[in-house]
Amino acid sequence: VISAAALVHVVVSGLATGSIYALMALALVIIYNATRTLNFAQGEMLMMSTFIGWAAYRAFALPLVLTIVVAVLAGAALAVIVERVIIRRSIAAAHWDVLIITLGLSLILRSVAGLIWTHEDFPFPSYFGERPIALGPVRLAPVSLGIIGGSLLLMAALYGLFGFTRMGRAMRAVAQNQRAARLMGISVERVYSLSWILAAMVGAVAGVLVAPVTFLSTKMGLIVINGFTAAVIGGFGSMPGAVLGGMLLGVIENLAPLYLPSGIRYSVPFLILVGILLIRPAGLLGRVERRKV
Amino acid sequence: VRGGRAWLGVLGAALLFWPLLVPGYFVFLLSLTLANAVVAIGLNLLSGYTNQLSFGHAGFLAIGAYTAALLTIHAPGLPVIVTLLLAGMATGAIGVGLGIPCLRLEGLYLTMATLAFGFVVTEVIMNLDSITRGADGLRVPAPRLGGLFLASDISRYYLVVTVAAVLVAAAVNLMRTRTGRAFLAIRESEIAAQSAGIPVASYKTIAFGLSAFYTGVAGGLFAFTVGYLSPDAFDVFLSVDFVIMIILGGLGSVPGSIVGAAVVTVLHDWLAAFQNFRPLIFGTILIACMLFMPGGIARALQPVFRRR
Repeated sequence: VISAAALVHVVVSGLATGSIYALMALALVIIYNATRTLNFAQGEMLMMSTFIGWAAYRAFALPLVLTIVVAVLAGAALAVIVERVIIRRSIAAAHWDVLIITLGLSLILRSVAGLIWTHEDFPFPSYFGERPIALGPVRLAPVSLGIIGGSLLLMAALYGLFGFTRMGRAMRAVAQNQRAARLMGISVERVYSLSWILAAMVGAVAGVLVAPVTFLSTKMGLIVINGFTAAVIGGFGSMPGAVLGGMLLGVIENLAPLYLPSGIRYSVPFLILVGILLIRPAGLLGRVERRKV
Repeated sequence: VRGGRAWLGVLGAALLFWPLLVPGYFVFLLSLTLANAVVAIGLNLLSGYTNQLSFGHAGFLAIGAYTAALLTIHAPGLPVIVTLLLAGMATGAIGVGLGIPCLRLEGLYLTMATLAFGFVVTEVIMNLDSITRGADGLRVPAPRLGGLFLASDISRYYLVVTVAAVLVAAAVNLMRTRTGRAFLAIRESEIAAQSAGIPVASYKTIAFGLSAFYTGVAGGLFAFTVGYLSPDAFDVFLSVDFVIMIILGGLGSVPGSIVGAAVVTVLHDWLAAFQNFRPLIFGTILIACMLFMPGGIARALQPVFRRR
C-alpha cells in the first residue's frame, strides 16, 4: 500500500510531466487548427531550439533567463525557415503529404543535431534548487512545481492571445472556416506562418523546462508522440482539451508503475492512445467533425 | 508486351545466376533487398491503394520473423514453405485484428495508431523473454526443405528469390481481380467507390490482412537471411524506412515498391560507415520526393515506358 503523502508526490510529478505534454500538445494543435496538418517534427524542433539555447549558455555564460530567450528565438527562427522553405511549397498537398514532409524534417533535424552536438546526454542547468519543499508530510520537488508554474503561465498567456487579441481572433477564425476567414480579409498564409512560429516558441519553452529533468539529448524529440497522445485524449483541435489530456497522461503515466507490472510501463501511453482512439476518437473535449461530400 | 517478356527473362536469368557472378556479400544484400521489397509491396497494398498510411510495419515484420524463428526452433521438421506460410498467416490474422478497429480512424489518427502498435510489439517481444529471449536476441537455425538443410547463404538466397517472385507475381495479378479493382477504386476515391457499391470497410480490412500477410512472410525471409533477431532491430526507424521505400518508389505501384526497396536497402549498406548522415540523407529524400517527385520513381519513369 502506498501512503497518501507518497501518492501526492507522484501525482505532482505526474502533473509536471503532464504540463510538458500539454505544451507539446498545444504546439501540435496550434498548427493543426490553422493548417489541418500534423507537424511530426515538432519534437525535433523543440530539441533543436533547446540545444541552441544551451550552446549559447555555454558559449557566453548567459544567465538562465537569457538562455530561455535564445531558445525561444531559435525556435521561432527555425519555424520561419521551415515554413517558408519547405511547408509553403506544399500547401495544396493531400492530407498526409505534410505529415511525410515533417517526418523527413524530423530525421534531418535529429541528424544535424547529432552531427553538431553528438547523440550523448548533457546535463541542463536548473533554475530550481535541489532541496525538496516540505508541506506537512508531503515532500515536493521544486523543479516539478517550477515546471507546472511555468507551463501555467505560458498557458495563461496563450489564452489571452487567442481570446483577446486581433491575431488570436484571426487564428481562431481560420481554424473555424478558412474560406470565410479569407473573405473577411484575414491573410490565411500569414496565419499559417504565425501558427508555425507560435507553436515552435511554445515547444521551445517546453524544451527548456523539461531539459533539466530528462537531460538534453537528441532523443528528446520523441516527446512528440506523447504530445500527440495528449492532444488526442483531449480531443484533437481543442486547446483546453490538449491541456487536460496532457495532465491526465502525465499523471496516469506516473501512477501506472505503482500498480502495473514493470513490463508494460513504457507501453502505457500507446495503450491509452489506441484505447481513446477506439472508444472515443473525438477525445474528451473534442467535437466530431462531419464532412459534407 | 513482347519486349516486357524479354526483359523479364533477362531479369530472371540475372537472379538465377547472381550467386555465380558476384561475391557472397552481394548475395546476402540481394536477399535482404528482396525481403524488403516484399514488405514494401505489402505496405503499398495498404497505403498506396487504400490510403491507410502505416508507421507500424516493423511491428508486423517482427511478428513474422519471430513466428518463423520460433517455429523453426520448436518444430524443426516443418518444411520452410509451411513455416513461412504460417508466419504470414499469423501476422495476417493480427493485421485483420488491428485493421478492424482502425476502420474507425482516418488519416493521421490511423497513422499514429499504427505507430503505437509498432512500439507495443517490440515492447511485448522484449517482455516475453521466456519465449523470445528478450533483449538477448534469438539465433535463428537453418530452415529445412524436406531432407535439405538450407544452411548456406546461397541456398537461402534461392529460397528468398522463389518466394519473392511468387509474391510479386501475385501482387501484380491481384490488380486484375475483383479485390484488386476494388483497391484501385478506393485509391481513386473512397466515396465514389462506396457509392458504386464496393464495401469499402471490408476491402480496407482485407488490405490490412493482405499487407500484414506479405510483411509476415517477409519477416520469415528476413529471419532466415539475417540469422539473428533482436527486438531493437524492429524499431520505429525501420517502419520509417519502409515508408521511404514506397514514397520514393511510388505509391500504388508494385515495380515502384521493388525499386524503392532496392534503393533504400543499398543506400543503407553504402552509408553503413556514415551512420550519422543516414537519417539526413533519407530525410532529404523524403522531402525531395514529396516536393519535386510526387508519385515517386514509378511515375517519374512512366513517360519513358509509355513511349515504347
